Amino acid sequence: MVIETEILPLSIWLPWGLLYWLAVVGGAAFAAVLVGWLVAALRSGPVAALRMTGRTLAGGAADLVLISPRRVWALSWLAVKESIRRRVVVVFAVFVLILLFAGWFLDPGSNQPARLYLSFVLTATSYLVLLLALFLSSLSLPGDIKNKTLHTVVTKPVRPSEIVLGRILGFTAMGTFLLVIMGLVSYVFVVRGLSHTHTLTGADLQPAEQSAGDQLSGRTSRVHQHRHEVIIDVAGGGRVKMEQGHWHELTIKKSGERSIYQLGPPKGLLVARVPVYGKLHFKDRTGKDAEKGVNVGDEWTYRSYIEGGSLAAAVWTFDGVTEAKFPDGLPLELTIEVFRTYKGDTSDPEDIPGILGSLAVRNPKTGEMVEAKIFTAKDFATDLQFIPRKLQTADGRTLDLFRDLVADGRVEIWLRCLPRAQYFGAAQPDLYLRAHDASFKVNFAKGYLGIWFQMVLVIGIGVLFSTFLSGPVAVMATLGALLGGLFSQFMARLATGEVIGGGPFEAFIRLVTQQNLVSEMEPGLRTTVAQMLDVVMGYGLWAAAAVLPDFGSFSFADYVAYGFDISPVLMLQCAFRVLAFLLPVFVAAYFFLKMREVAK
Amino acid sequence: MKSDIVVETRNLTKVYRDFWGRQKVRALKALDLEVRQGEIFGLLGPNGSGKTTTVKLLLGLLFPTSGQSLIFGRDASDVRKNERIGYLPEESYLYRFLNAEETLDFYGRLFNMPKAVRRQRTFELIELMGLGWARRRQLKEYSKGMVRRIGLAQALINDPELILLDEPTTGLDPIGTREMKDLILRLRDEGKTILMCSHLLADVQDVCDRIGILHQGELKELGRVDSLLKIRDVTEIRASGLNHQAQEEIKQVIERHDGKLLSMGNPTTTLEDLFLRIIRESEAHPGRRVRGEGPGAQVNRG
Repeated sequence: MVIETEILPLSIWLPWGLLYWLAVVGGAAFAAVLVGWLVAALRSGPVAALRMTGRTLAGGAADLVLISPRRVWALSWLAVKESIRRRVVVVFAVFVLILLFAGWFLDPGSNQPARLYLSFVLTATSYLVLLLALFLSSLSLPGDIKNKTLHTVVTKPVRPSEIVLGRILGFTAMGTFLLVIMGLVSYVFVVRGLSHTHTLTGADLQPAEQSAGDQLSGRTSRVHQHRHEVIIDVAGGGRVKMEQGHWHELTIKKSGERSIYQLGPPKGLLVARVPVYGKLHFKDRTGKDAEKGVNVGDEWTYRSYIEGGSLAAAVWTFDGVTEAKFPDGLPLELTIEVFRTYKGDTSDPEDIPGILGSLAVRNPKTGEMVEAKIFTAKDFATDLQFIPRKLQTADGRTLDLFRDLVADGRVEIWLRCLPRAQYFGAAQPDLYLRAHDASFKVNFAKGYLGIWFQMVLVIGIGVLFSTFLSGPVAVMATLGALLGGLFSQFMARLATGEVIGGGPFEAFIRLVTQQNLVSEMEPGLRTTVAQMLDVVMGYGLWAAAAVLPDFGSFSFADYVAYGFDISPVLMLQCAFRVLAFLLPVFVAAYFFLKMREVAK
Repeated sequence: MKSDIVVETRNLTKVYRDFWGRQKVRALKALDLEVRQGEIFGLLGPNGSGKTTTVKLLLGLLFPTSGQSLIFGRDASDVRKNERIGYLPEESYLYRFLNAEETLDFYGRLFNMPKAVRRQRTFELIELMGLGWARRRQLKEYSKGMVRRIGLAQALINDPELILLDEPTTGLDPIGTREMKDLILRLRDEGKTILMCSHLLADVQDVCDRIGILHQGELKELGRVDSLLKIRDVTEIRASGLNHQAQEEIKQVIERHDGKLLSMGNPTTTLEDLFLRIIRESEAHPGRRVRGEGPGAQVNRG
């Protein structure tokens, strides 16, 4: 999995985020007050307008602060009742139906079955729940206004703020209930879909070729389109090799002369790795420090490359490495990309050697360095390596990892490519210490919490639009906000001119005149006008991107599917962002509803 | 100040505009109105005369184009005035997926009433409206009259001081209408102020203390019902137990005083009264039928 953006610690993220939030919300609030005053001034003169604006703001502040929990509770309860009347249960039925059909099409024998299953259930759930949230929230108030049921509500001492909050809370409660049930069903579906075991009999095992003695090796039966290699050692212990990202526990029972082999359920399939990331810097081919490695001509500059057979290295510096955390040594996982400048003779299987790499451990203080591992690079796969406590130096000394190589909890891991003129590409998150595994169940729940965040945002937007638009229009507007939010990062890049090919108008001209993205535009009136319009459009896009929530960043499906623990810091950031978004949405919805003539 | 004024409108005007801001209808033109504590005030007028617009402006459901409306001295846009108001809309706009108890409990919660009080009020009002047998039924299964009654119940949930009734008797059968009128009078006797609007003259005549007549958004007439309806130069004489000779004598007395006898005879009851009497009799003696000529025969013709 590729995480392009680093998760900043809260101490840095929070103050900057707050500042940004204040700027955006403050700007929007100021603009709204200004527009309100202008409209009032046109009708009744500037001084009266000032008084009216002041009164509206004071009344608004009172309405937002003096909220009665009992009334909000009553209105939430009504929203839940309404959802039930609108037959939300149907959505759950659809979900079950989807899972039933998916059981046919999802192949548990694929390369990464857990990834497939998990991303499927998370995606299906999020689409269904988001659509449901969209329709429920944006159709409710317009329905009440159309049926005039709102007349009997607003003529009670109910504040518009309570109507808005009650709706948001009620639909959130309903959505949460559905989401929990869907999560439970999904969990059972995934676990049952992936669960399997293999059989192994004595006839499957042959004496191993390389080593003499009683060592046996063989392959298990074929289930879910794979077999595992099994090695039984001299002492009678068995080892099942990893296949499709999992292995099975092997128990051997002696019954007289015969041995009975039994394999357990799959292990390591559903995991939540907790990675400890280090800081990456590079050494160039002469061994000097470098910010970046070599560019091999890839457009995607995410990974930087080091040259093989030279002094070039990728160096990760880890902090907080203590004996208490890693009592046995350092388990580390690496995903590197190999860039080959020549290939072996593919007709001869013996002649395609893997590209060798080395991992070395260095003490950043003393400079003592030990080569810990020589490995064959696996392309497009995550490789688990283990650096033991005791390490042998080239001159025969034995060093202890924590005594000799870790200085104040800091240690460097050096990655080198061994063959000449071959390259390894690496980025910071490509090598990490796998400190321990968190509970998969909890991580799965966190994945659903991500969907919950998105759902709450959609409900907020839906209720906001429903305060001043009619039902179908509110649905379309909410859908637009959802799609816009999904592409908000792209819009931001479009606005800042980072995207090649210009803004929408220039791109349109390129499209109809069949010009490619990089060719220079012909100078002239048309180009000038288009580019000027793009600048204007850019401001709009920038504003939209700044205001709309980036829905994609709330989706934790990849973390769960690729087996990474969702960091609590990320969860907290998302929670803050949801809150930061809902607060102004709530205030805006209140004012829209307050200004509306309900009986019109 | 005059503290007994509950509702007051000053120069209240409402103009409906279309999307482009062009004037469509002047629904209400400079209405000045005062409703005093403890009276039943009726707004009368044909359809589209601005009665409902007035009520909606008073409640803040619509915003006035100009002018102001005050209830208990508070502006219509102030939600706090609603604490002391009960409102029965033209049609009972209630949530049809709730039952009677849930409906009243919901509106009770909106008044921030504690649970015990809500339960008590709900029970009382359901009994008062005679809906005890249907308290657990969803409103979508209710007949129009039943919905109307539960609508009135929700308007009374907070024991309001001012009750606004928009066409209170539409959709009700004669018994329901009678009961509604009795209830309105009873509420007045309890000291509540009632503002109702209707186009049914009989209803207004029977219950209202004062009326205002609206036509095309303008107030045409305002005053006490008894003085408005009194025809000052007509004397109605009703007596029983007079023989033919006595009747002749009365005629002569009238002629002697230069009066003109318009009619004299056995007075007729109104159809409404007759219908009610028959229904009540039938409820008191179930199974009894009318045979041949008799007072009941009129029912068949009616």
